[in-house]
Amino acid sequence: MRKILPLVAVICLLLSCQRGIEVSDQIDALPPVEPDYAGVTVPVNIAPLNFSYLGTEPCALQVGGQTIRGRKGLFRFSRKQWKRLMARPEFELTVLARKEGKWVAYKPFKIFVSQDRIDPYISYRLIPPGYQGWQKMGLYQRDLESYRQTPIVTNDLTGGNCMNCHTYLNGDPSKMVFHARATFGGTMLIDGGAIEKLNTKTDSTMSALVYPYWHPSGDYIAFSVNKTFQSFYNHGSDRIEVFDKASDVVVYNVHTRQIAWSPLTRDEGRFETFPTFSPDGKWLYFCSAEAVPEMPKDYKQARYGIYRIAFHAEDMSFGDQLECIYDAPAEGFSASFPRISPDGRYLCFTRHGYGNFSIWHQDSDLWMVDLETRAVWPLAEANSERSESFHTWSGNGRWLVFNSRRGDGLYTRVYFTHIDADGRASKAFLLPQDDPVPYYKRLLFSYNLPAFMTGPVPMPERRIVSEIRRSQGVDVQVKD
Amino acid sequence: MNRFALAYREQQQLFLWDKTYLTGILCKVGGGATLLAQFLVQFFYRPTVALIMTLCLLGLLSALLWLSVRRGKEDWPQLPFCLIPAILWGASLSDHALHFDALVAALMAAGFLAVYARIERRRLLWGSLLTVILYALAGPAALLFALCAWILDLFQLGAWGWKSILFALVAFFCGGMALWTLAVPTWAAALTPVFYYDLDTSMPAAHLVAWLSVPVAVLLSAASRKVFRSQRHRNLIVCIVTVALALLSWAPADHFRKQLEKRESLQSYECEHYVAQEDWDGLLRACKKGTWTPGAANYLNMALSYKGRLCEELLKYDQRGAQSLLFLTQEKSMDVHVAQIMYAMGNMAAAQDVSFNLLASTVGYCPEMLKINAKIDLMRGAYDVADKYLSLLEKSPHYRAWARRYKRFLWDDAAVEADPELGPGRRSFPSEDGFALFEAPLTELDRVMEVRPDHPGAMQYSLAFRLLAKDLEGLTRFVDRYYGMESLRTVPVPVQEALIFYSDYSRNFEGVEPVSLEWCLSHGVTEETVRRFAAFQQESIRTGGAAPKGSQGTYWYYLLYKQI
Repeated sequence: MRKILPLVAVICLLLSCQRGIEVSDQIDALPPVEPDYAGVTVPVNIAPLNFSYLGTEPCALQVGGQTIRGRKGLFRFSRKQWKRLMARPEFELTVLARKEGKWVAYKPFKIFVSQDRIDPYISYRLIPPGYQGWQKMGLYQRDLESYRQTPIVTNDLTGGNCMNCHTYLNGDPSKMVFHARATFGGTMLIDGGAIEKLNTKTDSTMSALVYPYWHPSGDYIAFSVNKTFQSFYNHGSDRIEVFDKASDVVVYNVHTRQIAWSPLTRDEGRFETFPTFSPDGKWLYFCSAEAVPEMPKDYKQARYGIYRIAFHAEDMSFGDQLECIYDAPAEGFSASFPRISPDGRYLCFTRHGYGNFSIWHQDSDLWMVDLETRAVWPLAEANSERSESFHTWSGNGRWLVFNSRRGDGLYTRVYFTHIDADGRASKAFLLPQDDPVPYYKRLLFSYNLPAFMTGPVPMPERRIVSEIRRSQGVDVQVKD
Repeated sequence: MNRFALAYREQQQLFLWDKTYLTGILCKVGGGATLLAQFLVQFFYRPTVALIMTLCLLGLLSALLWLSVRRGKEDWPQLPFCLIPAILWGASLSDHALHFDALVAALMAAGFLAVYARIERRRLLWGSLLTVILYALAGPAALLFALCAWILDLFQLGAWGWKSILFALVAFFCGGMALWTLAVPTWAAALTPVFYYDLDTSMPAAHLVAWLSVPVAVLLSAASRKVFRSQRHRNLIVCIVTVALALLSWAPADHFRKQLEKRESLQSYECEHYVAQEDWDGLLRACKKGTWTPGAANYLNMALSYKGRLCEELLKYDQRGAQSLLFLTQEKSMDVHVAQIMYAMGNMAAAQDVSFNLLASTVGYCPEMLKINAKIDLMRGAYDVADKYLSLLEKSPHYRAWARRYKRFLWDDAAVEADPELGPGRRSFPSEDGFALFEAPLTELDRVMEVRPDHPGAMQYSLAFRLLAKDLEGLTRFVDRYYGMESLRTVPVPVQEALIFYSDYSRNFEGVEPVSLEWCLSHGVTEETVRRFAAFQQESIRTGGAAPKGSQGTYWYYLLYKQI
């Protein structure tokens, strides 16, 4: 018996070895595969980009001198194979399909490997894209070097409430802010090992605090306050319009728990929203539009430009004039969601026909401003015919993560694009999954507001849940 | 128990034969009960099946409890006590916020108890093990099992039975672990039926009573065993006790059921069932029952519209203004029936606005809302999204055939446009920019009519809205514009009655543009209607303004004598 066992093992091994594939013919077309990773640039530390051949016949993939057999069309890279591929500056992939008893090869495509590492984590909200009804939603974090997704906090533990606007200080997961709404409502501020709930509606502001952005010092957070409404389009490719009837920008001091504003960020004749600080903390950027007479009747008239005002962190005061960075309305467009690269050189924003909530606008694209020259250009390689929005810069300023509806036109997915030293983007690639086609097809949640992080959120979920449920919250005051 | 309320549970979930879905549920605390419950509830699309299955499960619950407490043939008098939980659970299940998992979990607890009752050696070890397994499979039902097992042991083992309190401690420990690992948010959810209740609503205390009735039944059964054995008139006593218990448990159960029914409106469940089955005659029958409510009137008129008889038969039923056609609450975009009526009247954007928000429930996906969304996305040409919904429905045995029928339309514009339902729907999206559910329903309907004058639902509702709102001038303009088109080749009798009335009125009052009799006759009003109107006028004069005999059911009666 002892002699037979090794023999059986060897026979099994030989039988399991793949027979060679002889290619009989070539097809002069790229293979029908999903996700489309042809010609993308990926970071050296990304998880394997598994993908599927969409034909029904047997298939194989030739890459890096190896052949991977497709299992129900799926090409799954082993960690070892992927690591070897990532050691090259680029690699070529050839998809083979067995048609009428012969193996035919599709036109090969390349994947380029960038040595610019990507931040190891992103976080996002998963939410059904309906705008009023949801049952389950949550904030999740995803390890980009694997496929592991873990919850930061989910609403099944907090009475099914809405939670949104998660933001980190320069991607630091220990400094986080997000809003919980409804029954256990409040703004949750995580600062190292401390967590507190804030009641951010004051008598002097029109709403609770909304879109946040951390000051690089960690001492302040800029927010907008908005009277936001939503409606469902009666035709066309856009489904929903989110519009403000009024909005302002304020800054919150995390130490004194006070908010302050400038008359220039709270102009009654204008809508101000989507604040963001410059990496040196000296400027507060935001979007601003001339207030339209009647919302939503005049919703197409609301066009936002990008402005900035000086911010003095030492005494929480503001400069006395606004500077226009990009006058989108002058070009017949609207700009929103400004985000500045960590080196302060580029400002990435979304440009679309009107309004401010670009994620629901299929014409929304990513654009860039060079803050030195004020040159403006679209990130054409990263954009698609459908909506792109909610972008965030990686810590090294070489990657952008953003949402796009390019997949099915409705459910947003996470994409990444490489930004070179000249501020030009590469073709974007979809957030990898172990078996992406069925995963994305059956997922009836949209990815919302992806944000880079340097690691997972250290605050345990149970502490966050406990604070949301139990704390009455601390009232925010207005600075005298 | 109402069979339609049970059937409505089927519309709150979508059971999928899908590995990811099945393993996803099983990996959660209480996943075994959830999976089994969802498997059973998928057959509830037939209300009678739902009722029979639920009654069987309640019977099984009683039987398993009785099996647990009986020791021999002479123990049959304990059976009445074991019926108490079934009665109370039956009432609790009228509240669809209490998931069906709760009954399945209680059943699993009773099953485990029956097994435990037959274990003779190492009972502490086996009892603890069963508690842990049950907690993993069914959640807090493990505490029910633990309490019942303890009670059984107290009566059977005497002083040694106290040791079985260990099971309850094990259940508490499991609950604590569930809380620690965030499988549940609170201790209440970890140890009580709150676990099986919708997360955003507070649970009525009656469910806790039903829950606790299980250990109480075991306690009464075990305690009565000794009492009955020593009685001479055992059978008589058992009969008295049975009647007394039935009354005692039935009264609160019935009271609670009525309270829930008031809150939930059983009629709407019945209507929803017939809408899902596209059984318009059944829907008509259901709507005729009971007192008038705007919701029932909406469903009734929708049934008439699908039968193509809305305008003709409108006034055969009690109508109270335009709200009879569409009643909008403040939460208008969160009401299933609004989606269905909007779909029926051809306002696809509004139908999708509502159904899009209602795709998901606390238990899973709503099949009817998925179907509406899939159809409207096919109309929109949003094939990728439609494919997503159809693929999901395809994984559910009951909806597989439906999904496959609609899958053939994917990426086939010609097939969509040729389809009698999808084709007209595709052309019914308004040409002007605007928002759905933003203006008055009739204003939005007029936009649909501008692009789709041949939509039968839109035509019927457009006429009916004007009739019920007593907008005769608007109705005359509408008929003037659309008469002769495919969907208005003949004018329904109530509309004829309205037109002839307005013609008479306009010719007798200054400041109103006169509408001639000739115009009426050339726009679908028949000589017969003209003759009947003359008779109605004469009879009205004769009665001195009171409603003429036999005029009920005419538009003239609705116009002149019906307060709206």
